[in-house]
Amino acid sequence: MNGIGLYTMIRREVQRTFRVVVQTLIAPVISAALYIFIFGTVIGSKIDSIAGVPYISFVFPGVLMLSIINASFSSASSSLYFMRFTRGLEEILIAPFSYLEMIFGFVAGSIARSLMVAFLILITGLFFGAVTLVNPIAFILYVSAIAAIFSMLGLIVALWAESFEQLTVLNTFVITPLTYLGGIFYSITMLPEVAQTITLWNPFFYFADGIRSSMIGVSEADTTFGAFLIIGLVVGLASLVNHLFKIGWKIRS
Amino acid sequence: MLEITNLVKKYGKGKDEKTAVDNVSLSIPKGSFFGLLGPNGAGKSTTIHCITGIAQPTSGTITIDGTDVVKDYKEARTKVGLSPQEFNVDIFATPEQLMDYMGGYYGVPAKERQERIDEMIERFDLQDHRHMKFQKLSGGLKRRAMLGRALIHTPDLLILDEPTAGVDVEQRHDLWEYLKEMNERGKTIILTSHYLEEIQYLCKDIAIINHGRIVAQGTKESFMKDGKSVEDAYLAITREDNKKS
Repeated sequence: MNGIGLYTMIRREVQRTFRVVVQTLIAPVISAALYIFIFGTVIGSKIDSIAGVPYISFVFPGVLMLSIINASFSSASSSLYFMRFTRGLEEILIAPFSYLEMIFGFVAGSIARSLMVAFLILITGLFFGAVTLVNPIAFILYVSAIAAIFSMLGLIVALWAESFEQLTVLNTFVITPLTYLGGIFYSITMLPEVAQTITLWNPFFYFADGIRSSMIGVSEADTTFGAFLIIGLVVGLASLVNHLFKIGWKIRS
Repeated sequence: MLEITNLVKKYGKGKDEKTAVDNVSLSIPKGSFFGLLGPNGAGKSTTIHCITGIAQPTSGTITIDGTDVVKDYKEARTKVGLSPQEFNVDIFATPEQLMDYMGGYYGVPAKERQERIDEMIERFDLQDHRHMKFQKLSGGLKRRAMLGRALIHTPDLLILDEPTAGVDVEQRHDLWEYLKEMNERGKTIILTSHYLEEIQYLCKDIAIINHGRIVAQGTKESFMKDGKSVEDAYLAITREDNKKS
C-alpha cells in the first residue's frame, strides 16, 4: 500500500480546507449555530419535549448531519472537479496509486474535513446545551460512514459534471430536499401515516436517526436496518466509483 | 528500458473516431537520450500519455523495464517522471508544495523529500519563488517548477514534453547541461521539443512521428549524414510524408 502517498493526499485536502477556511469551516459553523439558535432555542422553547428529550437535543444531531453531508459532498466534488478542470488530476493518475487508493485518498480527505466541521459544531452545540454523546464510538462511525457516502457521491458528480453549475445539481435537487424530509427537524410520529411510510423509504431518515441514536440514545427507525443500509451504500458506492476510476470515465482519455 | 509494441490510440466513436497513434513500435534502451519529434498533433503527447497512464491505449503493449504499464500500472509508474507540455497543476500551490505533494505521492519519505526539494529548488534557481503561488510565476519559472516536480522521486525514465517552452536562453542552456549530466549518470530521457537544435545537441537517438505513425527512426548521426542538420532532415522527412498522406 502507498501509505505515504495516501497520507499526502489527505494532508493536501486538509491544507486545501484551511486555504479557504471561511467557506469550508466557518460558514458551516455559522449556519449550524443559526439553526440551533432558531430551531432549538427560539422555537424549541415553545415545544414540549420530543421522544422524551428537549427539542434542541432532538434537532441537534440532524443539524450536525446536514453540515457533515454538505462538507463531505462539497469537499470531494470540488476537489476532484477542480483537479479535472486544471488537469491537476494527472498528478494522481501518473503516481503509483491503485484505483482504490486514489478513491480512499479523496474520501479520507473529505472525511477529515467533515470530522473537523463536526467537532466545531459540537463545540458550538455545547454553548447551547444541546450536546450529549451516549455512544461516542458509534457517533464517530456514523459520521465517518455518512461522510464517506456523500464524498463518494461527490466524486461521481465531479466526474459527471461539465460545468460548475452541474456540480450543484445533485445537492439542490436530491440531497437538500431528502435531508429536510428525513426527519431532522421533527419526529416522524408527527406526520400523517402516509408521510410516515414514505419517510421510511428515505435513506436520509436512517442517517439522521443513526447519528441521533448515538448522541441522545433515542431512535425512531430500525437501527439494524439503518446500519446495513449505510454499510451497503458505502460498499456499493465504493464499487461504482472504483469501476469508474478503473475505466477512466471522464478522467483518462 | 521502454518497449512500445504496436501501440494504437483512438479517440471518439463511430464517425468521430480519430486515430492519434497508429501502430507505433519503439525500443528505447536504458541510458538512452531519445528525441521524439513531430508536428503539432502528430501523436507525441498521446504516446507519452499512454506511457504514463494519462491515456488508455486502444491496443498494443508498453513495458518499462519489463513491467506492463496497463497490467502492472502501479509498479510501472514508480519508474517514470513526467514534465508535461501543459501545466497540469493546482495553480494556487507553490513550487515547493508541488514538489512536496508529488514526492509524497511517489512515497518519498518526508526527510528525503525535503532534501530533494531543497536540491531541486536550488538546481532550478527557484529560491526566491519557492513560496509563490504557481499562477503568479512567469512562464520560465513555471517550466522549472514542473521539471523539479518531475525529478523529485528520482525516476529511472524521465519524459520531458516540451520542457523548455517559454524558458529563456540562459536557463535553457543551463537545463541542457543538467539533462546531459543526468543522462551521463544513467538516466533514460525521452525528450520532445520543437527546438530542433535542442534535440540535435542532446539526443543520441531520434524518432519522427507524423500522422500517428513513426516515419523515421535512427541515431542522430543517421539523420545528420551529408552535413545536414536534424532540422533539415526533419523537414525533408515530414514534407515527404505529408505529400504521401
